[in-house]
Amino acid sequence: MIKLIVGTEAMFFLALIMAFVYFSFSPGFRSHQLLNLDIKATGVFSILLFSSSFTFWRAEINYHQGKIKQLRFWLLFTIVLGGIFLLGQGREYISLLNNNVNLSSSIFGTSFFTLTGFHGLHVFVGLIVIAIITALAFAGDYNKPGSSVIDSVGIYWHFVDIVWLFVFTIVYVVPHL
Amino acid sequence: MKLILLPEPEEPIPSLSVSHNQGLLQWISSVDHKQIGIMYLWLSVIFLVAGGIEILLVRWQLAVPNNHFLNPEVFNQLFTMHGTTMIFFVAMPAIFGFNTYLVPLMIGANDMAYPRLNAFSFWMTFFGGFLLYFSFLAGGAPDAGWFNYAPLNEYNYSSSPGIDYYCSGLLLSGIGTVTASANFVVTILKYRVNSMSLKQMPLFVWMMLINSFLILAAFPSLNAALVMLLLDRQLHAHFFSAAGGGSAILWQHLFWLFGHPEVYIVILPIFGIFSEVFPVYSRKPIFGYAFIIGSGMAIALLAFGVWVHHMFATGLGNTVNNFFAASSMLIGIPTGVKIFNWLATMHGGAIRFKVSMMFAIAFLIEFTIGGLSGISAALVPIDWQLTDTYYVVAHIHYVFIGGTLFGLFSGLFYWFPKISGRMLDEKLGKWFFWLFVIGFNTCFLVQHALGAMGMARRVYSYPDLPGWGILNLISTVGGFIMAIAVGLLVYIIIKALKTGEKALRDPWDANTLEWTTSSPPELKNFDHVIPVNGARPFRDFKRPDDADWKKNGQQWKIN
Amino acid sequence: MKATFDLALISSTQSIFDAASPQAEKIIRLSYGFLVAASGILLLVIILTVYITIRFSSKTNTVEPRQISGNSKLEILMVSFPMVLVVIFYFWSLNTINAINPDRADQKPDIIITGHQWWWEAVYPGEKVITANEIHLPTGEKLLLQLNSADVIHDWWVPSFGAKIDMIPGTDNYLWVTINKPGIYEGTCSEFCGQQHAWMRIMVVAQSPKDYNTWLTAHAVKAGLPLDTLARAGAAIFMGTSCSSCHSVQGTFANGIAGPNLTHFGSRQTMLAGMMDNNPENINNWLTDPQKVKPGAHMPRFIFGKDSVRELTAYLTQLK
Ligand code: HEA
Ligand code: HEA
Ligand code: HEC
Ligand code: CUA
Ligand SMILES: [Cu+2]
Repeated sequence: MIKLIVGTEAMFFLALIMAFVYFSFSPGFRSHQLLNLDIKATGVFSILLFSSSFTFWRAEINYHQGKIKQLRFWLLFTIVLGGIFLLGQGREYISLLNNNVNLSSSIFGTSFFTLTGFHGLHVFVGLIVIAIITALAFAGDYNKPGSSVIDSVGIYWHFVDIVWLFVFTIVYVVPHL
Repeated sequence: MKLILLPEPEEPIPSLSVSHNQGLLQWISSVDHKQIGIMYLWLSVIFLVAGGIEILLVRWQLAVPNNHFLNPEVFNQLFTMHGTTMIFFVAMPAIFGFNTYLVPLMIGANDMAYPRLNAFSFWMTFFGGFLLYFSFLAGGAPDAGWFNYAPLNEYNYSSSPGIDYYCSGLLLSGIGTVTASANFVVTILKYRVNSMSLKQMPLFVWMMLINSFLILAAFPSLNAALVMLLLDRQLHAHFFSAAGGGSAILWQHLFWLFGHPEVYIVILPIFGIFSEVFPVYSRKPIFGYAFIIGSGMAIALLAFGVWVHHMFATGLGNTVNNFFAASSMLIGIPTGVKIFNWLATMHGGAIRFKVSMMFAIAFLIEFTIGGLSGISAALVPIDWQLTDTYYVVAHIHYVFIGGTLFGLFSGLFYWFPKISGRMLDEKLGKWFFWLFVIGFNTCFLVQHALGAMGMARRVYSYPDLPGWGILNLISTVGGFIMAIAVGLLVYIIIKALKTGEKALRDPWDANTLEWTTSSPPELKNFDHVIPVNGARPFRDFKRPDDADWKKNGQQWKIN
Repeated sequence: MKATFDLALISSTQSIFDAASPQAEKIIRLSYGFLVAASGILLLVIILTVYITIRFSSKTNTVEPRQISGNSKLEILMVSFPMVLVVIFYFWSLNTINAINPDRADQKPDIIITGHQWWWEAVYPGEKVITANEIHLPTGEKLLLQLNSADVIHDWWVPSFGAKIDMIPGTDNYLWVTINKPGIYEGTCSEFCGQQHAWMRIMVVAQSPKDYNTWLTAHAVKAGLPLDTLARAGAAIFMGTSCSSCHSVQGTFANGIAGPNLTHFGSRQTMLAGMMDNNPENINNWLTDPQKVKPGAHMPRFIFGKDSVRELTAYLTQLK
């Protein structure tokens, strides 16, 4: 089930990415990207997000091995990393808005905010879900192995990271090539 | 005879604790797949009448040249709502109704994999539909056509809230559709009775499995487009407005990347219905079981490679057009395979002319007309002449009515006894059949000619050019004959529900598992399921000496 | 200006069967070809269906026929027969496409047509002619049309000339056409473009190169000062009110671009993009209440006295 949901979500992001790529050929688009986007800082935040995939993976492993303490630790760690990523994205947004780049300012703003905004929304939803299972883990709901919830959330979370891999490459890296 | 236990959903089926006599509340709170299926079906009947009345007004306006019955504003809202309603709130819910009702029964399961999600899907569709219709009260329905081209759909050109309702209504129902499809996939793959292998699944279930994947892949593109449009309209983004640097063509790509698969989404399950109906009323197994599955998959895959055939006139260049022309024509081949397979199924059979079968037979011819006009539109130069004319209107109705609607009627007459426990009146049913078929052809055959004679579609009025007036009048008459037929159908259904003859367990001597239950089935479908050793388990059960699995090998011969 | 055609004598058509250009002839040939093949296929399906349903109908309710469930050879036939047809028509259509829509290279367009909600504007590059709704083209030459849109998507379609093509804001589209013989050709906007999509009709007047040049010269002339007093009063209103901010009349300071160019309005056969004949009565009604005549049209209603409308009408009709 979760794989099917992730599959359709992938198609959704594919459409948004296609729109972004389509517009990136319009004149002035690339200079917007080079001028306004902070690839270094976002690169660092991206690494944090990718690490959160690793930490969640550790959480899954430890859960299957029945190590509840470690499970709780890695879940918390994941939340922290994901949270920092969102803060980083917020920082990027604020600096863009201060430069008068917004959803309605230009086609760059339109496609940038839509694509990264929907990704951010998915990260945010993921964080809420992980926060819930962390709370449940502390409440002792996962003391026994055998639930598929953590694996399902894992598939979603890894998916969100993979999407970011594509988004980051296309939005931040490609204009520098 | 050994009976087989079935896999149960992980959680106990929630509805089983509900008692039968809670009235309306019981329906609203139901998570039983049969009740939800029935609600889907009623929803689509309601919207069929709504969408039909809308287009009757349109046809009335078009009956004579230079008519002043409707003003253009209302006219545009009516045909837009007609197209949108018929596709999203008639064809889709009807198909989902049959599927929700029948898929668990046909695979020997007691419910869908996720019963609550199933209810959620239905209510999303329900509220999506009513949200769309609420726009009539909220300042004007959407008026930019069912495919709602940019930039006409942008705020500058359509400032009434209709299009916002279009976006939110379709988003809601789209979410319902996607979750329902995910539910079908899991149900079909995980909750089949143990002994039923994939190769023994009824073709109806197969088509729905393929279709569910098609939906999961196609709908996100629509959702993305709708979200972008909402951003444009509400927050002044610039996706589709050329003035702000956006692109009107992008909307068309995103829409048709969804829209073309969508038209196959409303035909594949119909192919599934016919693949049940033909064998039963011919008393023969389906001809080319594997080919029907294979061609279904081929259609689903090709469906994603043809969308530009809706955009041949946008000036994308010869190379692009040629590629999509080739793929569009190729898609006729797997479809043709199915047509010939159904013919071969009837060949050598013992055909019973029940209403259900009559719709199936009529379908073969009507759908071929629609399919061939589709192929002609895939020939780029012909499309350059005929796109956006009444010729295309004729095409879509021959495939939608001659295909989808005939299939739904056929399925209705076939499964109604199971669903309601009552028989539909066959005699009145035949009246309905003939009225509808005659009305349908009267209405739409002439539209091919109108298109070739230069009549563009979506015009609220037209000049009195030679021949236009009379052909449009004929078309309008046909539309009203269809209306009488639909009215008769509603009467037939209500009459059957009130006073209809009680249905037996297996009135048609059918092949599949749903007919092994009582009519209508108990709240819990099965306690035990008969063994499944082939694609026709119930027939094997009824004729154990002649069972399919006993004579494997012989069947690949034709007399 | 001498009228070079007479509306009553030349029958106008709007049908793909009345091909009037080599491009349209190619398409109609392909269409007939496909019609024959499609009829064949349809006939086959009908014959099979009818034969099988009659031959194998059964009244009894019990006996089962032989249980046959497939035949690979037959299936292969089912695939290969349509395949052959598809291949044939695919190449035929390729051929037609290349003939109709050859590469444009660097060729400059002969005429630029822009779709507006809900009227047409035509500019003749290199000439000083701008006109609206009634479009004149020369016969016998291979013309390159450039199609643009000022607002939403429209579509240029004159069935007798062959292909249609969308007019998309922000994009230039092109179309080749060679008109065989003089005449009046009708067409229509073929992409839904809002309220008055129905009354965005096309009228092309095709003229021999000689007549066409006469027309061009006549239309390059600016509007002079009206002679009679009624029209002169009308001109004053036209220039004094907001008419001039939306419409152009060359030779005056009226240079608006939101509405059709009216410099030679009086010489046109029809008005409002083919909605009605161009005569004083219709002009009168239009100016009295545009929204009643063509609801949704982007021309506001002005509160004029009857006299002012008469004067404006007089002014407009003499703009030949
Ligand atoms: C149920 C819905 C349905 C189905 C099944 C189809 C089936 C097909 N459609 Fe259709 N189509 C629509 C619904 C559907 N369509 C709608 C709604 C639109 C318009 C949307 C709008 O603009 O509003 C549209 C528009 C449309 C266009 C664009 C027209 C235009 O706007 O200019 C084209 C062009 O290629 C096209 C092609 C086809 C083809 C090739 C098939 C093929 O799948 C048909 C295949 C079937 C057969 C060919 C018949 C059976 C085969 C045989 C008997 C074998 C022999 C055949 C051959 C030798 C070819 N369709
Ligand atoms: C499944 C899809 C479907 C179905 C079933 C229909 C059904 C019908 N369609 Fe539909 N049509 C479309 C899909 C469909 N259509 C689409 C997608 C478009 C394009 C829209 C667009 O351009 O955006 C279109 C456009 C369209 C047009 C072109 C409009 C235009 O371009 O201006 C026309 C014109 O004749 C038309 C006619 C009809 C008619 C007469 C029916 C009839 O079959 C309807 C018959 C049903 C009734 C008449 C019901 C009435 C019932 C009663 C009155 C019963 C009485 C009540 C009780 C007993 C309670 N349709
Ligand atoms: C806001 C802009 C606007 C103003 C002001 C305006 N018009 Fe128009 N006019 C239009 C538009 C747009 C059309 C085309 C309507 C259509 O066909 O849909 C039009 C069409 C016309 C036509 C028909 C042209 C043709 O080729 O068919 C005439 C005549 C005309 N206007 C005269 C006038 C006069 C006289 C006035 C002043 C009293 C005026 N207009 C003021 C926008 C305007
Ligand atoms: Cu312009 Cu339709
Ligand atoms: Cu299509």
